[in-house]
Amino acid sequence: MDKSELIQITEALLIATPEPLTEARFAQCFDSTPDMSLNEIIESLSAFYKETDRAFQIFKVANGYQLVTRKEFEPFVKRLYTRSARLRLSQAALETLAIITYRQPISRVEIEAIRGVSSDSPLRTLLERRLIEIRGRDEGPGRALLYRTTTEFLQYFGLNSLQDLPKLREAQELIQDEDESLV
Amino acid sequence: MSESKLLNRNYTVDLPIFEGPLDLLLFLIKKDELNIYDIPISKITQDYLAYLEIIKELRLSTAGDFVLMAATLMKIKARMLLPVPEAEGEEAEDPRSELVNMLLEYKRFKEAADHFADREHTQNRMYYRVPSTSEGEFEVGAEDLLADVKLYDIMLTFQYLLQNYEEPLSHEVAMEAVSTSEQGAYLKILLNQSEEVWFTEIMKDLGSRLVIIVTFLAILELIRSREIIMEQNDLFSDLRIRRGERFG
Repeated sequence: MDKSELIQITEALLIATPEPLTEARFAQCFDSTPDMSLNEIIESLSAFYKETDRAFQIFKVANGYQLVTRKEFEPFVKRLYTRSARLRLSQAALETLAIITYRQPISRVEIEAIRGVSSDSPLRTLLERRLIEIRGRDEGPGRALLYRTTTEFLQYFGLNSLQDLPKLREAQELIQDEDESLV
Repeated sequence: MSESKLLNRNYTVDLPIFEGPLDLLLFLIKKDELNIYDIPISKITQDYLAYLEIIKELRLSTAGDFVLMAATLMKIKARMLLPVPEAEGEEAEDPRSELVNMLLEYKRFKEAADHFADREHTQNRMYYRVPSTSEGEFEVGAEDLLADVKLYDIMLTFQYLLQNYEEPLSHEVAMEAVSTSEQGAYLKILLNQSEEVWFTEIMKDLGSRLVIIVTFLAILELIRSREIIMEQNDLFSDLRIRRGERFG
């Protein structure tokens, strides 16, 4: 298997992958270890897409790679989707999600103690949109359900891992360069 | 109704949406450029109560949480007025400190939420390629699709299916005697006859909402005892039931 073939195969994997293509998933697709690492292949594919001015690019997210359309095409692409499909999260949902992200696993009561307001409805929204999931129960009295973020969460916010998020205190100061994670 | 009441008054209120009592307090502090570490509790309580009236009038679902904070503020105000007994050696705690800590903690997450909103905005401009699993050029194994069903998915689907279930019209009124054990046994008979059964198929023959709910409870019980397995393609899609490792 020569290099150009390997690159082609990887391109096929990127087209077909239902979730970000990780090093592990990539390796699964071959009988023996390929001559090039996934990172190397992605680099050369990305360079090629840039050179040929493709309308899509490779995005590094949730510890893997995925094809995304370039931002400038959003005005057109968004019309393909129904209104509800890309509904933005409410302020309540965002606050709840932020608390879960930095304090997971966490119970509803603990979330409400921080927000100072009942949070049933934002929790339901986040569960329905699969940005959070129920992960076990608290050891303490009441055995409350505990929530944590999902892989879909990383994907939704274009994060490679939770470590990509700024530390809580400096959240405001740090407005990350949005193009940083683009390969 | 609440709207017209407000209009009858001689002033208009430009009320930003507050996510909760802490959000409102932060707003009041910022509005008057108050020092969060040295909140003039008397003034802030007064401002807060003025807003509380409006919030009550608007009948927000979270009004109860706002009332609770009003009580906290008044309690702090009362404690501030009381003379502080000279404690020996240790400094008396500021009655406001707990509230200040809550405000600061909430503020941190509120800021983080803003960051999330920015990211969401950026991210929403890029679209992921979503492979179509139903029309792909190659067969996707049924097992791949059905993996990873969570209890929450099952509950959501059940709710969805039940909403879309139309109760057949009937004139007969009779007490239905159903139990989860009966319905469980019924389910097992079905599973003895075939490898898999679909939830909507079972539902069709059940007749009433009550029986459906009892059957659903029976299903959950059988999943728990690992006598059956439940699988699903997609959120809100039909649920497939198969024999589990302890089926018998």
